[in-house]
Amino acid sequence: MLAAQSVAELQKSFEKKVTEFTLANGLHFIVIERHEAPVVSFHTYVNVGSVDDPGSQTGLAHMFEHMAFKGTPTIGTTNWPAEKAAMDAVEQVYDRLDAERNKGPHADTKKIVAISNELAAAMEKADSYVEPNEYDRVVESNGGEGMNASTAEDSTNYFYSFPSNRIELWFLLESSRFLTPVFREFYKERDVVREERRMRVESSSQGKLIEALAATAYEAHPYRNMPGGWASDIEHFRRPDAERFYKQYYVPANITLGIAGDVNPAEARRLAEKYFGRLVARPLPSQYRTVEPVQEGEKIATVSSPSQPFVIIAYKRPDQHSPDDAALAVLDSVLSDGRTGIIYKDMVRDKQMALGAGSDAEFPGGKYPSLFLFYVAPSSGHSSEENEKELDRIIQQVKTTKVDDETLRRVKTKLRASLIRKLASNAGLASELCSYYVNYGDWRRLFSELGDYDKVTADDVQRVAKTYLVKEHRTLAYTYVPGADAKDDSKGDSKDDSRKEGSK
Amino acid sequence: MTRRTPLLAGLLLGLMASAGLAQTIPSYKQLVYPPLKQVKIPEPTTFTLANGMRVFLLEDHELPLINGLALVRTGNLFDPPDKKGLSSVMADVLRSGGTKAKTGDQIDEELEDIAASVESSMGETSASISFNGLKETTGTVLRVFKEVMTDPEFRQDKIDLTIAQAHSGIDRRNDDPQGIAEREIASILYGRNNSYGWTIEHADLAHIHRQDLQEFYHRYYFPKNIMLAVYGDFSTPDMKQQLEKLFADWNPEQPPVPPFPPVTAKPAPGVFLAEKSDVTQTFFSLGLLSGTLRDPDYPALEVAVNILGSGFTSRLMSQIRTKLGLAYSIGAGWGASYDHPGTFRIVGSTKSASTADAIRAARTELEKMRTSEVTEQELKTAKDAVLNSFVFFFDSPAKTLSRVMMYQYFGYPSDFLFEYQKKVAAVTRADVLRVLQQHINPANLSIVAVGNPKDFGKPLTEIGKVEMIDLSIPPIPAVAVPIK
Repeated sequence: MLAAQSVAELQKSFEKKVTEFTLANGLHFIVIERHEAPVVSFHTYVNVGSVDDPGSQTGLAHMFEHMAFKGTPTIGTTNWPAEKAAMDAVEQVYDRLDAERNKGPHADTKKIVAISNELAAAMEKADSYVEPNEYDRVVESNGGEGMNASTAEDSTNYFYSFPSNRIELWFLLESSRFLTPVFREFYKERDVVREERRMRVESSSQGKLIEALAATAYEAHPYRNMPGGWASDIEHFRRPDAERFYKQYYVPANITLGIAGDVNPAEARRLAEKYFGRLVARPLPSQYRTVEPVQEGEKIATVSSPSQPFVIIAYKRPDQHSPDDAALAVLDSVLSDGRTGIIYKDMVRDKQMALGAGSDAEFPGGKYPSLFLFYVAPSSGHSSEENEKELDRIIQQVKTTKVDDETLRRVKTKLRASLIRKLASNAGLASELCSYYVNYGDWRRLFSELGDYDKVTADDVQRVAKTYLVKEHRTLAYTYVPGADAKDDSKGDSKDDSRKEGSK
Repeated sequence: MTRRTPLLAGLLLGLMASAGLAQTIPSYKQLVYPPLKQVKIPEPTTFTLANGMRVFLLEDHELPLINGLALVRTGNLFDPPDKKGLSSVMADVLRSGGTKAKTGDQIDEELEDIAASVESSMGETSASISFNGLKETTGTVLRVFKEVMTDPEFRQDKIDLTIAQAHSGIDRRNDDPQGIAEREIASILYGRNNSYGWTIEHADLAHIHRQDLQEFYHRYYFPKNIMLAVYGDFSTPDMKQQLEKLFADWNPEQPPVPPFPPVTAKPAPGVFLAEKSDVTQTFFSLGLLSGTLRDPDYPALEVAVNILGSGFTSRLMSQIRTKLGLAYSIGAGWGASYDHPGTFRIVGSTKSASTADAIRAARTELEKMRTSEVTEQELKTAKDAVLNSFVFFFDSPAKTLSRVMMYQYFGYPSDFLFEYQKKVAAVTRADVLRVLQQHINPANLSIVAVGNPKDFGKPLTEIGKVEMIDLSIPPIPAVAVPIK
């Protein structure tokens, strides 16, 4: 069995490879040396996410993430002064358009058409100065790999890898794009972001269901909104909205940089001072968000869809700093890790009522009170109702019956092993260490959290199940085929006869 | 320091500050890079066990882990046409069905107790059994891996489970528009008489029985037909000895496996529409059969199709996504395979109302590249992207080992990657034009669109004559098929 000592040894030898420093402006760097190959992975972790989207501007954090690839005054333009003037002109015309629209029923439709044409022409003029995708081209042609970004509820992440002789280029490019981002081609990109929503949510029954689940489970807290934002909000974004958001949230103290691979920490520090030292400190924004009131009763969300059914059940749980967090993580593992999770064994393997089923200890984020989720894809001939009942039975079981010692031991062994596996990837290390630092104040928590898992007893697992998996704090969300009865898409437990030839 | 008037000092400070800024931060174009360190490409130790199984070992002492992969020369292509899906079911149950001595459930617990795993999978022209675990349980992981690989029992309850899941999978196959597009274009390009293009139906699954699984397994899973790679925290002589001892009692023999049937489909160019009502985008795929990595034009085609549709600076991305805002997802790939013609594809999705516009725009970008040479900058960017990221091919022992094995499996020279590198460096603008003209003719494209034609606005017929795709899933036949 993987002894606790060997994990402690691993941490000790790992610690020798890590250097940390904070610049005067508040930017924090974590540098991890791994000289196995001449490559380096970079990760920029910004402590801002969709939970920070302003009202009626959901999806703005994500919109800015797209803007972060549009370049700077010196990257992405053929003529910055002319482009800037043209971009400002676009906003002036758009202001006039909005002013007319804001008149509501008194608006002059002919005027709106005329200003809209003017706006299109102004946008075309501004776009004419663009050097398309220059930022991406520089990264790609210099051997950049895996360049991407993602916006989640709690954070926004930017990452890619370079051959290690291109380190200075990353410092130059990354610092520049957060020092002076230029929001060029904003309205074109707004269309792209709108397409992304169509792809991920509107054309996917699971996407629609998750969106409905979050919006129902949460009435007040911004976890109720998806990172992609609501459709009409996307369609109404204005460039000044995104600029305001960037100024308020992309402050140096809110940004942590992870650098892992064939890197010299002293050199990294020198380059950090030179390039990132340019960013000016601004005050940290408030972390206060409307507190979700205690849920007083069960909630239900449904989505009609011709697709095969999907079911999600969510229970309210505390944030990642709760003393119950470790027990909830262990409960999640007991329920659905690998081939030995209770849900898999019971619903997929033995009773065969589900094609896939499992749980998730923390959705959609951890900074604020979140959700302990269960999800099921019923197998053909088995109803959503049947699966929901079985999940309920399993939940009752973990509340009334203590997990046995062997299971608990197995879960803890797997948690330790998964830590070791995390250490094998530059990109993974850069990302994880940033995340642990930002969320817990110390990257060492990647190792020390194992101690919390080790302390979890069978009593603890039972206790958190009893405390949190309660009906009054439950939200049920499922898809159903329109026309059929909402909760009755098959008769009982028998195989569905309608699949057989000859019957209707 | 001499005193200056405050105003002058302020002015000077201001000037110094801005001059300082301008001086210290160069443009990226001015950066000079040190030469890249030489990559140490490790050489695996190779040997053959007494039973004929070829072994590749590579040490990696960074972390206390051990990983392995057994590559088996078989694949979906060997499914008999009247037993489609057999190989995949077999691969699944090889792991889940347990061994003579232990059930699959018992093996699940044994492995997860030590945070290890053994998994089996089946592809078109190769199959694999993989394992991974912590160093301190190497002995146990290897033993379970060997048991699973050499003594599968294919218990009936797990066959039933896999087949039941396959039925459910069939019922769900029209729920994802992207999945529909990929499946349908493969059928059109490869034809429906081989595993690249056929679709497994409910009725097919009724023909798969335990005896079939056993026969398939015995025909293909024998030592001379398997290559085993192991990498991780071990010593080579120790591991060699361990493996020799472990496999000493496994000596089944079979005739050499025949070559995989060649791809002989004659795809039909045209426009094909699959109606899906609950989407707000149309998912499209434009394709034709491509080639293999061995083709002399392969390096030039990779560069050409990169310029067409790989990454943000590509023609498709910058035109259809960035400039027109018509798509979030759009791209192209040449799609060559090791041993059979792959598929060239342009793939994307756009709001329903711009379906015809987006597909036309994609075809236009291809046509433009077949008419005029790409720019010097485009060529340089595409070549630099390959050449400057070359080091990533070697950034982990796992990648190196996997490549060595793959090249041997498919009969590629061990220096294939380096030859490829040289050829990419030599590609010219004229080459790009020539290979696109020779290999990718828009008139030969098969175009699949999955979406809601009621919302198309401009009809799809603007692109060409449209043939409807029937997405209906044939039901299970009412009469049970007798067990063979």
